[in-house]
Amino acid sequence: MDHFAAAMIAFGIALGGGAIGAAIGDGLVGNATINGVARQPESRSTLQGIMFIIIGLVEGMYFINLAFGALFVFAIGK
Amino acid sequence: MTESPPVNHPTIDLGCGTWCTINYDSVISSALAILVTIALAIVIARSLKPGQPGRLQALAEWMFGFVRRTALENAPDAGFVVPLAATIGFYILIANYLDFFPITLIPNLHPANTDVNQTAAMAIVVFVVVNAYTIRVRGVGGYLHHLTRPFELPIWARALYTVLNVIEEIAKPATLALRLFGNILAGLLMIYVITLLLGGVPYVGSWFLGPIALAVWKLFDVLFIGLIQAFIFMLLTMVYFGLAREGLEEEHAHSH
Repeated sequence: MDHFAAAMIAFGIALGGGAIGAAIGDGLVGNATINGVARQPESRSTLQGIMFIIIGLVEGMYFINLAFGALFVFAIGK
Repeated sequence: MTESPPVNHPTIDLGCGTWCTINYDSVISSALAILVTIALAIVIARSLKPGQPGRLQALAEWMFGFVRRTALENAPDAGFVVPLAATIGFYILIANYLDFFPITLIPNLHPANTDVNQTAAMAIVVFVVVNAYTIRVRGVGGYLHHLTRPFELPIWARALYTVLNVIEEIAKPATLALRLFGNILAGLLMIYVITLLLGGVPYVGSWFLGPIALAVWKLFDVLFIGLIQAFIFMLLTMVYFGLAREGLEEEHAHSH
């Protein structure tokens, strides 16, 4: 197997695993936000701001994954 | 029209090994972002009216007020955090928003934050200033003692926690730099992939589907991700200053 194909397979596995993690994290954030709003509806705007920050943090990990995977694939494919 | 991803940067070798080369395209790109930031700041500062703020002034005042409030909430005695965090936040925001224009079509120009050296430079500045501030408020002994937290555990457990705390200190700037770099580079790679895939669709791909998908992606990526990442970088900077003096009041209360 040549290097490019191996890099592509590794990239796919990394993307899949990272997506699982990011999805679980986003789900937990949404769950907590819904619980908070259901308990105290007046804190909705505050919680929404915090929710987007946390989603940005959680998805940051996935984007690191994506960018580095693509970096390796493009660097090896050249 | 192909916006290729800036994965391989053209470099100038200074002739002293792998670690001292200059990615001159990143220098040009960040110079552009810095010039736009400074120009915008000068325009806002020139047009300040005390009684009747315009829209731009109101926006700038609201953003700066937010930075100021948050920074002083986190570290009440560190007034120097406000300009540092505000500069970092506004610079990253403008550097990301420059991605709206197809600046990658111009040679030697790309969104400034798609080079890891850019983001690592800002993260290292934050790391150095945070640690200097920690040493200033705690003293060198207090700084080293703070690394052995939590204090209520037995001594062998604290020795283990020291390793974890040191790793955490190093991981802070690393994740700060890589998060921003990864997000912005991934956005640019998506633009490349969209152009590549939809450009291959027969008849409608290159002039209809591709531009629409690009516009939708750029709206989401630049407006939302660019803003969130600039905000997170700025917020984490201020939070790290808050962490530097975490538990300081209680310790002082115990010792007196």
